[in-house]
Amino acid sequence: MLILALECSTAVAGVALLKDGVIIKEVFSNYKKNHSETLLPVIDRSLSECQYSLQDVSAVAVTIGPGSFTGLRIGLATAKGLCTAAARPLIAIPTLEVLAHNIAYNSFLAGTALDARKKQVYMCVYDVSGGQPSPLAPVSAVSPEIFVDNALELLHIYGKHKIMLLGDGAVTYQKLFENSFNQRMIMAPSHLLWPRAAALAELASIKFAKKEFENSDLIKPLYIRRSEAEIRLSDKECIC
Amino acid sequence: MNDINILGIETSCDETAAAVVRNGNEVLSDIINSQIYIHQKYGGVVPEIASRQHVENIGLVVAEALRSAGVSFPDIDAVAVTNRPGLIGALLVGLSYAKALAYGLNKPFVGVNHLEGHIYANFIEHPAIKFPLICLLVSGGHTSLIYMENFQNTRLLGATRDDAAGEAFDKVSRFLGLGYPGGPAIEKVSAQGTAGLYTLPRPYLDKNNFEFSFSGLKTAAMNMYNKLNKDGSLNVCDLAAEFQEALVEVLAEKTFKAALRFSVPNVLIAGGVAANSRLREMMRLKSETLDIPLFFPSVKMCTDNAAMIAGLGYHHYKRKNFARLDLNAYPGL
Repeated sequence: MLILALECSTAVAGVALLKDGVIIKEVFSNYKKNHSETLLPVIDRSLSECQYSLQDVSAVAVTIGPGSFTGLRIGLATAKGLCTAAARPLIAIPTLEVLAHNIAYNSFLAGTALDARKKQVYMCVYDVSGGQPSPLAPVSAVSPEIFVDNALELLHIYGKHKIMLLGDGAVTYQKLFENSFNQRMIMAPSHLLWPRAAALAELASIKFAKKEFENSDLIKPLYIRRSEAEIRLSDKECIC
Repeated sequence: MNDINILGIETSCDETAAAVVRNGNEVLSDIINSQIYIHQKYGGVVPEIASRQHVENIGLVVAEALRSAGVSFPDIDAVAVTNRPGLIGALLVGLSYAKALAYGLNKPFVGVNHLEGHIYANFIEHPAIKFPLICLLVSGGHTSLIYMENFQNTRLLGATRDDAAGEAFDKVSRFLGLGYPGGPAIEKVSAQGTAGLYTLPRPYLDKNNFEFSFSGLKTAAMNMYNKLNKDGSLNVCDLAAEFQEALVEVLAEKTFKAALRFSVPNVLIAGGVAANSRLREMMRLKSETLDIPLFFPSVKMCTDNAAMIAGLGYHHYKRKNFARLDLNAYPGL
């Protein structure tokens, strides 16, 4: 089983190959270059360095969101094109679940927060004590203050003492979080801060075993947020 | 010689389109999923919504293009995709999908300029076109006069300084309460009105150049609407007809002036506004009077489609003008 994993829902472009439970290749690029320029060349290089071709791939995995709208679409459109051409199944995993999986088998809660701009974060809190992150709340776009409120409540409910914060949203609002969480939070170290293609591949292998595949023609990104135009239009309709 | 089948993909604005074209001019399929009804309630194309629709539709549209052409992936020789100009988020969906598809099929792919595609639409339907020629390219984003020695050697003679013709149609249509898209809306009500009952200016600018300006005409139409609306004598159909007449007259005049200046054997119209029946009629009259043959695409081929992309893609393919895996999308020319 060979899984090709694509992660471009944040500023990072990530590609990983997982062969029979072993990560044999991971590329993680966090410098400002367009995902649309880098993604396919990185896929090509990764496969050929490992002496594989797309025909050897059993399934293509992609983070489905939330994240940068454009990044999600580049990742998903690429995955769709690859799956269609090679007639391979597509596996989709929520971005924040991939991020939480960075600290699998941990007694802390995983507080994932991606910077959603407009003074909000895409958030979810996970129990990561097992081999697969289990969400304790729905994925949502909220202010950092509400993130703190939700997280403190979940810490209380689940009787956990500490939460580890992951994602670029944790960096953007680090001061605020440090002040509000008091001693109950830990910032993830930089190598665990971003969603990683290797973690995506790992989670995808579980779905692969269960044959949990998507219809590659029909699947769409999990945006969480509507477009600005839709929000404005529905505001207007509410007033009328 | 073997037949060459090109799969074309186009997502530069609000149509998700795919087509299979054989040998550059035999259209085996031409599938267009238009989002017009989705954007209508916003009064224009919303880029984020267009991009979301593209990523949802692209797989189905491509599958339908193959099915309706009666071919399968092994029959495709190359993938052609629009990579400029257009809405960047929208372009990136078609580009990412097309690159991955071509890579997965182990076939070459080529990037196609959307505007060159519109011009090429003429060559799919009219094999008799002779170079050199003058092409009037009119759409929602562009209004240009181009001198073409051949496909590779072209010269821009002039373009609009402000609003594109299609943009002026959209803005005036919205102002008159006729809806989006403006071109067809204005054309429709104009048919019930009479041009010349009201008088709007013909913005020729300097008679000796080939530039356009429609912003002043647009404002004049809006001012006239306000004035007539106030004194209760407004007939929207007559005003729309006069606006359309003024705009079309300038386009036709300047195009044939260029044709005479450069003494070309043929004149083309291309782009979405080339579907306007008054423009086609006026250009045809000029063409007959001056005895310079005129060509324009069928109405379906005027709007955004992937057949024109696949058709032009064939010529890139023949010249081995293949793109690399890092090909990017660009909003401008």
